[in-house]
Order: sequence, then C-alpha cells, then structure tokens
Amino acid sequence: MLTEATQTQRQNGLWRDMLNGWASTLTEPGVDTFRAQKARADPLKIVLGVGLLGLVIGLWAVAVGPASLTTGTDAIWAGLLRVIFFTEADFFVISLVLFFVAKGFGGTGSFVQHSYLLSLVTVPLGMIVTAFLFLSNKLGLTLAAVLNPLSPIGIVSIFIILFGLYGLLLLFFALQATHEIQSSAVFYTVGAPVLGWGILRVASMFAAQEENLITTEWDFIAGQWEKGTLQELLLGHLWLVAVSVAIAVVLGVMIGVFITWPSRRPQLSHLVILVPLALFLLLWAASSGMLGEGMAVTIKDTVKGWDRSLMRVEGFFAAPLDIVGAIVSKPAAVGMIGAMFTIILYALFLTGEAAGEITLYILGIILTIPSVALFGAMIKPLGTGPFNAAFALILYAQLPIVRNTYTGIKAVAPEITEAGRGMGMTEWQLLLKVKLPMAVPVIMTGVRVAIVMLVGIASIGAYIGNDTLGKYIFEGIYRAQEKRYIAGAILVAALALTVDYFLGWLQNVLTPEGLKGRREAA
Amino acid sequence: MIKFENVTKIYPRMSSPAVDDLSFTVPTGEICTIVGPSGCGKTTAMKLVNRLIEPTDGNIYLSDERGETRNVLEMDPIVLRRSIGYVIQQIGLFPHRTILENIGTVPQMLGWGEARIRRRAGELVEMMNMPLEFLDRYPHELSGGQRQRIGVARGVAVDPPVMLMDEPFGAVDPINRNILQNEFLRLQQEIKKTILFVTHDIDEAIKMGDRICILNVGGKLEQFDSPANILAHPANEFVEDFVGADRALKRLNLIRVDEVMDAHPPLLQATQSVEQAVGLMGEQGLRFMYVIDADRTLKGYARLKDLQGQTGWVDEFMEPAATAILLGTNLKDALSEMLVVDYANVCVVDTQNRVRGLVNTEMIHEAVVESSAAADEVGEA
Repeated sequence: MLTEATQTQRQNGLWRDMLNGWASTLTEPGVDTFRAQKARADPLKIVLGVGLLGLVIGLWAVAVGPASLTTGTDAIWAGLLRVIFFTEADFFVISLVLFFVAKGFGGTGSFVQHSYLLSLVTVPLGMIVTAFLFLSNKLGLTLAAVLNPLSPIGIVSIFIILFGLYGLLLLFFALQATHEIQSSAVFYTVGAPVLGWGILRVASMFAAQEENLITTEWDFIAGQWEKGTLQELLLGHLWLVAVSVAIAVVLGVMIGVFITWPSRRPQLSHLVILVPLALFLLLWAASSGMLGEGMAVTIKDTVKGWDRSLMRVEGFFAAPLDIVGAIVSKPAAVGMIGAMFTIILYALFLTGEAAGEITLYILGIILTIPSVALFGAMIKPLGTGPFNAAFALILYAQLPIVRNTYTGIKAVAPEITEAGRGMGMTEWQLLLKVKLPMAVPVIMTGVRVAIVMLVGIASIGAYIGNDTLGKYIFEGIYRAQEKRYIAGAILVAALALTVDYFLGWLQNVLTPEGLKGRREAA
Repeated sequence: MIKFENVTKIYPRMSSPAVDDLSFTVPTGEICTIVGPSGCGKTTAMKLVNRLIEPTDGNIYLSDERGETRNVLEMDPIVLRRSIGYVIQQIGLFPHRTILENIGTVPQMLGWGEARIRRRAGELVEMMNMPLEFLDRYPHELSGGQRQRIGVARGVAVDPPVMLMDEPFGAVDPINRNILQNEFLRLQQEIKKTILFVTHDIDEAIKMGDRICILNVGGKLEQFDSPANILAHPANEFVEDFVGADRALKRLNLIRVDEVMDAHPPLLQATQSVEQAVGLMGEQGLRFMYVIDADRTLKGYARLKDLQGQTGWVDEFMEPAATAILLGTNLKDALSEMLVVDYANVCVVDTQNRVRGLVNTEMIHEAVVESSAAADEVGEA
C-alpha cells in the first residue's frame, strides 16, 4: 500500500531520505519536525533502518563479545544475523505495544507512521550509543567501569544516560506527532508499559523467592514494629514535630500579621508587654544564680523534681511529656529565649511593614543554616535532646509560615479592606474578620510546607539523641547496615507523605466556604 | 445634609493640594455627584467625609435624621463610619462571607440580634428584586449586576441618613449600568438619602445628580449647580469642555417622558369592531393605533391596512407591541429605545403595563427646543 509520494521518494534515493530524517529529528527536535516526517513514512525505510541498527549492534557485539561469537567466519555471520533479527523483532514488538496503548488513549496515527517515527528516534541514537560503548571498549575499559558513574570513565556512562533521556524526550515528540494526543496521554502511553513491566518484575521476584529490597525492608520494619521500637520512634517523631509546629504557627502568624500593618507609635497601654518580659527575665536571672546561689539551687531542685516525675510517665503521653520535661529542666534558657522573643515581637509590632522585607530576609538566612550545625550550636545553652531540637524546628518553620501569612494578607484586594474600613471596622476587626479568614488558604499552604519540612528535619534531631525515625538512618550509617538506613529513609518519606495528605484535607476543611468556589471558578 | 466648609487636603510631601478650599452644601435627601478628570481629588473629597482621609484644613458637617448638625472631625471615626452608608467601586463584598453576612456587617457591629439582621437583609434583598435564597449564597455565585445591588443593600443596611458612593456602577457593563442606575433612582425616591456620588462619567453625573460638583485637577471647584444649569450655563471653558459639545443632547437626560407625553392619546379597545376602528383611524388621520383592554393594559397595535375590508374584532388583527416605555424614564433612554425598535410612536406604561400616555419623536424634539429656550431665558435674566 504505497502512495505515489513514497514511490518518488524511493526513486530519489531511499538512504539519503532516511539520513535526512535522522538529521532533522536530531538537530531540530520538536513535535513539528516529527509531524513533517509523518508523510515520509515507508515500511521499507523502517525495516532497513532498524536492520542497520542491528548490524551496528552486531558488529559491536562481535568486537567485544564472548569468544563463541568472535571465532570463525561462520560464527560471526550467524551471530550478526541473529543480532539483526532480534533487533528487528524487539523493535516491532515494542512498537506494537506502544501503538496499542496509544490507540487506547485515542491515538490517530497508522502503524507505519508510528513505527517510522519511532525508528527515527531509535536508530540514530542507538547507533551513537553503540559507538560510544565501542569506543570506550577500544580504550581498554570494561563495561563495569563504564557503567560506574564514580569511575573516571563514568563520564561515558553519563553521556549514555543523557542520550537516553534525550531519546525519551524525542519519543514523547514522536508519539505526540503520530497520534496527536495530549501530552499527558503520551506520558501514560510510555509510562503504562514501563509500570506493567515493573509490576511483572517484582511479581516474578516474589514468585522465585529472590532476595529483594521490598522483602528485606518489610521484614526489618515488621520486626521493629513487633519489638515496639518503631511505635516509640514514630510517636517521638510526631510529637516533636507537633509541639514545634504548635509554637511555630502562633509565633509565625503573629510575626506575619505584624509585618503587614503600618508602623505604630508606642502607647502607654503597651506597657502590658513588661509583664511577660519581667517574668522571663526574672526566671532567667533567678535560675542562673544572679539573685543568689541559694535561689538558683532551689529552682534547679524543683525543676529536677518535675522532670523526674514527668520521666516516669509511660505510654502514649511519654513522648510529649518528655519534651515538656526537657524544656522545664532548663529554666535559665526558657527565661532568656522567652525574653528575647518578647522583645523581637514587640519591636515588629511597632515597626510593622517597615520591617517586612528584612524579616523575611533574615528568616531566609536562618533556613540556610545546616540543621546539624544549628543543633550543635545550641547544645551549650539547651543541651542535647528535645528542647534543642524543638528550638531549631521552630526557627526553621518560621520562613514558610511568616512568608505565607505576609503574602496571604497582602493579597487581600485593597477594595475589600477599604470597604471594611469605610463601613467602620476597627483595624482588629478588619484583621480577624476579613484579612485572616481570607488569608487562611495561603497561610495553611505555608503551614503545610513547614510541617512536611519539619518531618524531614526532625529525623536529623536523632543526631543529638532524640528518639525520632532518624535514629534508624544514623544507626544504619554507623553500623553500615544498609537495610536499617534505607528503612529509616522510607519511613520518614512515608510519614511526610501521610502527614501532607492529612494536612491537605485539613486545609480544605479550614478554607472558608465562600473562597472554595471562587478558586474552582478561577 | 452634607456641608463642606473651606476644606483643603494636602498630602504629606506634596506641594499642591489634592482638594483645594472646597465649600458646598448638599441638602438633605438629594444626590450630589462629584465629577472631574482623574487626579481631580473627587475620591479624596468623598473619603474626607467618613475620615478615611483626614482634612488638612476646614470642616465638614453632617446633619442626622433629627436635624442635628455635627462636625465630623469631632466624632469618633469608627462611630462616624458606621453611621454612613458606604458603597465603593469594585463593590468590595467579602468573598468569604455569605450575602447575609455581607449585608449584616454594620448591623452586627452595632450589636443587632441575628433575627433582626436576617429580617432586615431579607427586606433589602427583596427591595433589590432578588429572591430570598440569595441570602445564603456567596458573592462569587452572583452575577456582576447582582453583586452590585448587594453592595448597595449593604450600604443602606442600617438605614443611614448619609451615603457615600464611589463609582458604584463602574464595574458593570453599559447595559447593566443603565438598569442599575434607573433602579437606584427609583429606590432613592423611596429612601431619600443624602448622597455623595463620585463618578468620572459626566453622563452618569448628569443622570444621577440633583446637583453636580465639577472638580478640576488639584481639587479646585469649577462649578456647583443643578444639572440643567450646568448644561445651559457652564461657568467657564473647563466646564464647557468637560460637559462636552453634545450638551444639548445631554439635556435629554434631565427630562422625563411624563413631562412631554400625550396623556390622553387615541386608543383602540380590543373588543371594538373592525369597522368602528377603521372609522376612528380615518377621523384621526392615523395609519395605526395602540390597542388596550378594559383595564388599560397594553395589548398591541393594529394597522389601518390590515383592518381595511375586514370584519370582526380588533384583537383578531392586532400585533404585539415590541416595546413600551416605563413612566419616569428620561428622554435619552426613551429615544434610544425607540430608535432600537424603529418606532416613531410608543406607549408610556406604568409598572403594571397599563397605558398612561403616548410619546413620539416630535414631542421629544419640541421638549428639547423648549428647554434650551427656557434655559437661555434664565441665563439672560
């Protein structure tokens, strides 16, 4: 079933036409290039092109392959023919599978067009990759060395990977040009067979009772669950994050609100601020011995008593009380940090939006401090343990929460705040009844980002002795137990995903009804 | 009453004033439109009244329903604002609150009970010709015109004697704007608020205002007068330019069909016989006539050529009328309606579709010529 166009093409030189096709797809990758090639589809060109690739692969196999292939002319010929045959067969089988999947997504191209465009991707790239492998072999490099990205020759494998990715991109273009389907459908067309193959592969591993990642990890995690260690670490992890987030949200939303309003003058009523400030300073001075050694000793003894009684609690509330215990056992630090934050908050309360940019900038810098360094720096005042970890987590959570509160409030349309003000709302009413409710979706996005981030950073808290899932990771690294640290990583990732999913639901619940529809309509 | 007394506003770090020595008085129950080019300080002038902006100099007085006059600068701004209806451009409805909650914003702050708020909101929604179930909807579920009506309803929720409106119909399309303007004028007949209405559109200013305050860049008052006087006698070149070369046409905005229509036009009864109708038309020299039923409801019109040589009743040969004009419509809208349907004669009806008169293009023409002449006489006198 040859059209006239293909007849003329054949007369004009089939090989030259094929070469042109490869050159254009390689030099001008894009859906339009493939669309232009669609009209030049020809079964003969497909068979010849793929055959040529088979020949090149065959030659490479002969050059580097085992002795059975490379001794004797007959053996070489037989080997070459076999490789060419299997290359053709593999190509058409894969092409057929992709063709049917694409048809399932509403593809419109014919099989000849489909296979021809695929061959335009496979043949030139396949030959280039084979040439690379051949060259690296001639340079005296083994395949193992080539495939090891850490070896000096690994650069070759990086090239091969890059060519592979490039080929994947071209494959997307080719499928889209052939079938004129949406890019998401193209994605599924390629993804579905790969996923199917993966599932079959895993199933076959289980069927053959082969040792694999899934079974070893499952066994390890199940073992930890039975011993009860996993529950303990999971609870410790979650409670550390929960306590930190609870404090971080209050602090972050306050800061975020303060840096959106105009600057204020200090007023007599602001003296209220002196009450918490004085209490914190008093606590700090008394417990660090400035008001007499005797008082400091008394405070320390009292606190130790509390800490001990808190430590005796077992079960579900052990983890949170552990954190509370760690905090109350350092009254001097609590006093100092409390006083510091009171002053910072009041300063931001007064400066208002004038301090907005700089606050966000500083919080951005805090986020760049490596968590291990921050934990280390805080060991002296806060000790190792949950107080130190919570302090770091609260600091890290500030940027996303403050930034989103800030942008959420700033994004409230000026005519809406003006309407509120013009109708006689006080600034507080405007904030609580209009600005904050309207900013809730944006603030919740920030809180969500913060929480997921903290779930990750909390695992590093294990480095300073916190009972979090990070314990598996550090233990695994120290003891060189692969399954242990992989299990830790999997568990942390799974926890982060679960928490994020739950928060997505929560966000939806908290978003005011009137704002939901508007988002859908937009 | 709203009274501006030598009010000046100079923004910090600005050499020239935004509002310059402004003095005028809006009598109780009237709409005063403030109009001018952008940068003329019209919105600033309006916001001085509810102290969203504080004046640099001068005083503003409001009188309440009991006739007590108060200086706004001596009032608590929050209390002041709650006592003034406020409707702004882009409406500014709260998207996270239902229509009920939006309308109830000020009542709630004034401590009204829930039942009272719902009752009042229901009243207002019905006054705006909208169904009661809208109360529990959210702003995004309403059309632009409906949102605008809710904006107005929210402004009048606590029945404030004074209202400030900043381009309240600016965000809707021309057709809906016209409808909303007419609705609001009708509403104003009932509620009789003292209104400061800011607009950049001179046509809207003429149509809506009992008085117009024309400001120039720098907040200078160029003319404060009734629309008719401003059209007939612009105080200076600026006003003349601003009002435009078509000010004779703009005068159409000021005359209502009731004033020019023929209140006793010849009409046919639907139950009249064709012979009688043909005779009547011959008598009057008409080629067609409008048809009404016993309680004067407009039924349609009948043409002489359709009736001639026929027997039977008029209603067998009549056609429905494509349009009729509502009492109280201004001549500009009436004329444009007539041009759209290509009628030279059209019935004037009341809200029950009962014929109250007839208006034609000649009557409109005469009215414009007369009003120009009258305006000129006033000017000479």
